[in-house]
Amino acid sequence: MRDKKKRGHSLNKGNDPAVKYADPNNQVLNDKQQSRRDFLEGSGAAVAAGAGISAFGIPSAKAQSGNSSATTAINLTVNGTQQMLDVQDRWTLAEVLRDQLDLTGTKIGCNRSECGACTVLMNGQPVYACSQLAVWADGADIRTVEGLATNGELSPVQRAFVANNGPQCGFCTPGQLMTATALLETNPSPSSEEVKEALVGNLCRCSNYNAIVEAVVMAGEEGGLA
Amino acid sequence: MSDFTRQGLEPLRTIGNDTPRIDAIERVTGQAKYTRDWKLPGMLYGKVLRSPHPHARLVSIDTSEAEALPGVQAVITYENAQVVWGAGSVNGGRQYNDPTKAATVHRRYIFNNPVRFVGDSIAAVAATDRHIAEEAVSLIKVQYEELPFVLEPEEALQADAPKVYPEGNLCPDFQGEFKPMVSDVGDVEVGFADADQIFEESYDTGFIHNAQMEPRCSLAHWQGDKLVLYTPSQGISNCRHDTARDLGLEDHQVQVIAQYMGGGFGNKNQNQDADLVAATLSRRAGVPVMLEYSRREDWLGVHGRWPTVQHYKIGVKDDGEVTAMQMRGYSGMGPYRKNSGGIGGMDAYGCPNRYREISPVYTNRTTSGNFRAPSEPHGFFGIENMMDDVAYKIGMDPVEFTLKNMRRPTEERPFTNYSLDEVISDGVERFNWQARRKVVPGSDDGPIKRGAGFSFMMFRAGVGTSSAIVRVNSNQEYTLYVGVTDIGPGAKTTMGMIAAEALGTPLSNVEVVWGDTDRCPYSVGESGSRTTIMTGLAVVEAAEELKRQIADKGMPSGSEVLIGSATPIPTTDGKTRQCFGAHFVEVEVDTRVGSTKILKYTAVHESGRIINPTTARDQIRGATIQGIGQAIHEDLLYDPRSGQPLTPGYYRARHLTHKDIPDIDVHFIEVDDGYGPFGAKTAGESGIILAPAAVGNAVANAIGHRMKSMPITRDKILGAMA
Repeated sequence: MRDKKKRGHSLNKGNDPAVKYADPNNQVLNDKQQSRRDFLEGSGAAVAAGAGISAFGIPSAKAQSGNSSATTAINLTVNGTQQMLDVQDRWTLAEVLRDQLDLTGTKIGCNRSECGACTVLMNGQPVYACSQLAVWADGADIRTVEGLATNGELSPVQRAFVANNGPQCGFCTPGQLMTATALLETNPSPSSEEVKEALVGNLCRCSNYNAIVEAVVMAGEEGGLA
Repeated sequence: MSDFTRQGLEPLRTIGNDTPRIDAIERVTGQAKYTRDWKLPGMLYGKVLRSPHPHARLVSIDTSEAEALPGVQAVITYENAQVVWGAGSVNGGRQYNDPTKAATVHRRYIFNNPVRFVGDSIAAVAATDRHIAEEAVSLIKVQYEELPFVLEPEEALQADAPKVYPEGNLCPDFQGEFKPMVSDVGDVEVGFADADQIFEESYDTGFIHNAQMEPRCSLAHWQGDKLVLYTPSQGISNCRHDTARDLGLEDHQVQVIAQYMGGGFGNKNQNQDADLVAATLSRRAGVPVMLEYSRREDWLGVHGRWPTVQHYKIGVKDDGEVTAMQMRGYSGMGPYRKNSGGIGGMDAYGCPNRYREISPVYTNRTTSGNFRAPSEPHGFFGIENMMDDVAYKIGMDPVEFTLKNMRRPTEERPFTNYSLDEVISDGVERFNWQARRKVVPGSDDGPIKRGAGFSFMMFRAGVGTSSAIVRVNSNQEYTLYVGVTDIGPGAKTTMGMIAAEALGTPLSNVEVVWGDTDRCPYSVGESGSRTTIMTGLAVVEAAEELKRQIADKGMPSGSEVLIGSATPIPTTDGKTRQCFGAHFVEVEVDTRVGSTKILKYTAVHESGRIINPTTARDQIRGATIQGIGQAIHEDLLYDPRSGQPLTPGYYRARHLTHKDIPDIDVHFIEVDDGYGPFGAKTAGESGIILAPAAVGNAVANAIGHRMKSMPITRDKILGAMA
C-alpha cells in the first residue's frame, strides 16, 4: 500500500543547482557532495545484514574516517531570513534547523525517511529534512512550520488544524502542515483523495488521518493560501 | 463523521460543545516544546550500546578507546553502573510499587549481563555532540559468549528449551510462584456436558509496537541532590516516584517535567530506563545529559503489545446458548515481565462456566508491555472470531448470538448503567447490517469478495484517586493545577472544560497548569483511560470547594487569592462501571492478491457524557485505525535461525498511511450514570479493542475462510484461498 515514488519526495529537476543538489536521485555530484549511498552509511541508516554492532545503526569507526567533523560554509534562506552557517558535513538539514537555528518545530521521528515528521519546504517542495545533508541545501530557500504564520496570523491550513483537531499528540503536525501547504500552493481546492495522495509520506501514529484530511480540505475551501 | 444521541441529558454551558484544544496554536506553530526541543547550557548527548545478540553472556568490555575520544565525558557500563529499573520487570506484571519491588525476583537493570534480546542495553556514553556519542559507542569493545535462545512462547515452555532464567521461562506471579494466571468461574466440565456441540480452535496474534511518533528520550539535570528530569511521561507523578525509588532518592528530590509529548499509547507509563541512564550519565558528567533513542532503538528497546497464542474450546446448545468457555493462552513477554500479559474478551460473555489459563512466558524477543487497552484487542480478536465462527456454524446471525450470550448485569453484579443493547441495535441500523453481511460466508461470485463483520465490547471505567487545585484571584481569573501531561487525547482542554463548567466561567477564563511535578498535584497519569474520570472528578470537587469558600468569604480583592483543592476517593457503590461499544465493518478482499480494503466502518460507543465531542470523536477514529493496522498489517517478525528482528520501523511494520484510511463513522450514545464528572466515563482505549475482531470477522464473512492468525496479511489470505 506504499507509494514508493512519493516517499522520496522527488523534487523538480529544473535548472536550480540547489534543487539538483538536494535531489537524492540526482547522479550528478560535485566533489563537495556525498553520494546518497555514502550519506546513508555515514548517518547510520544503512541496514547491516546479520548480527553486529552496526545492527543498531551505529556507524563503524571506518565509515567515520578522519574528517567527519569537517565544516563547510553554506547560505540558507530560512523563513525569509538569510543565514550564513558553518556546518559539519555530517549534519542533516533537520539537525541544523533544530540545533543551530533553534527552529525546533521541525521534528525528528525516524531519521530515515519513513515518517515525514521532519518535512520542510525546500524551494517550495516538501523534503524530509532528516535525509538531506545541510551542505546539499546550500543556496536553498527553506520554509519550516515556524514560517507559516504571517505577522502573528495563522495560515488557513493552520486555522483549519485548530478548528478540526488536526493535532493529537502534535508530533507529526509540523510535517503534515508543510506538505499540506505545498499541496495547497499548487492545488488550492484539493479533494480528500488528492489530500491523501499528497500526504501519504506523512505518518500519524495517533492515526488522526481523518481529521487531518478534513482540515486540509477545509483550508482549501477557505480559498487556499492566496 | 460523528454524531450524538443524548439520553435525557440537559445541555451544559461548556461541556458537550466542540472545543478547540487550549494549546492548539502552540501545536500548529512549532512552539510546543517537546523533550528533545529543550537545550540546557553545557548539555551533553547520550547514546546507548545495545546487544546485537538475542542471548549472550558478556565476557568482557573495553571502553578505553571510547573514553579517549575527544568530547567524550562519561562512559557507564553494566560493570560500573548497576541501577535497577524497577518498573522494567515486576512479579506478576503489576504496577511498580513498594510491595512489587520487594517481591520481584527477576530484576531488570539499566544494563544487563547476560543480555537477553537484540536491543538489550550494555553501556552508555555522554559526549559533547550526538555524533561523537555515536562514534564513542562504536568504539566500545565487548566480548560476547553467545547463548541458545528461544522466540516462541509455547516452545519456551518445553523441558529442553533454552532458559532465559535458571528457574525456567514461565513468568513468576505476584507471589513469586511460577504458575499461570487462572480465572475459573462455575464448572466448565458441567458446561461442556450440557452442550449439544463443542468447538475447538486456536488463534495467534503478533507483536504490535506502540510506535508513537516521538521516540523515547530523556534530559537529566542535577541541581545538587535534586534531579530535574525532562521526559515524555504519561504519568509524571508515577514517573517521579519510580525514579526516586530506583535512584534511592526521596520524591521531593525529583522533578519531572513533560510539557508536550509525542504520543505513547502505554509505553511511556511510569519511568523508563532512558530516565535512569540519562540521570546516571548526568551525575557522572556533572552537566545535563540529553539521551535520545533512535527509532530502531525505540522499536526494540521500548515495549509493544505482547504476541499471543490462544486455544479455545466452546460448548453451545442448539438454540445458541453458550454453556462453557475455555481458553488456554500464552503471551510472549520477552525476557522481562513489564506488564501482565493478559488476554481479555471472555469476560464480555455471561456464560456461567468459564475457565481461562494464561501463561506469560519469557522469550528472547524484545520486551512486551502495555499498549492501549493492554489485554483486549488481541483477546477480542481471538474470542470474537471464535464466537462468530460458532454462530455461523450453528446457523445464527452473530448479532443475535451476541445478544443471547453477552454479559448482562445481575443482582450480585449490578452495573452503574448498561447500554449494550442500544449500542448494538443502533449500530445494526446505521450500518445496515442485514443487507451487508453474507448469510453464507464467501458467497460472492468472482475473485473480489465482500463481507461484513461485527464485534462488541465492554471496558472498565475504574475508580481511583487524583488531585486538583483551583485558584482564583481578584480579577476573577481562575488557574487550574492538574498533573496531566496530555499525550494526545486533549486532557488539558478536557480538564479546563470541566473546571469552567463547574465554576460557571468561560473556558477562556481558566488557565491550566500541567506537566510539572513541582507545580502540579498528584494525577494518576494518562493510562488506563483514567484521566477524565479520576482527575476530572478531582477538578469538579476542587471547584466546588473553591465555590464554597467564595460563598463564605466573597471574591478575593487586591493581592488576595482563594484556593480550592480536592483529592476525592470516588466509589461506584459496589457497582461495575463500564463503557460500551459495537463496531461494524464491511471489507472487500481481492482474493487474487490477498489484499483487504475497508469499505465502510461504523463505530457506536457509550462513554457516558462526552466532555469535548471533537477530541472524543478523534479518540475513537484514531484508535479504530490503529486497530485496523493491527488487524491487517503490523507485526515484528524474527528470523528463527539468528534471533534477529526483521521488521522494526514504520516502513517494515507497514503502518497505515493516509491512503489506507477509510472514513470511520462514530456515533456516541450519551448517558449520565451519576458517578463520573458530569456523567463522563471512559473513551481513550476503548476504540482500539474492536477493530481487529470486527475486521477479522468481516474477512471471514467475505472469503468464507476463518483467518486465525493476526495480522491478516496478504500471504495468509492467499494461503487460505489456495
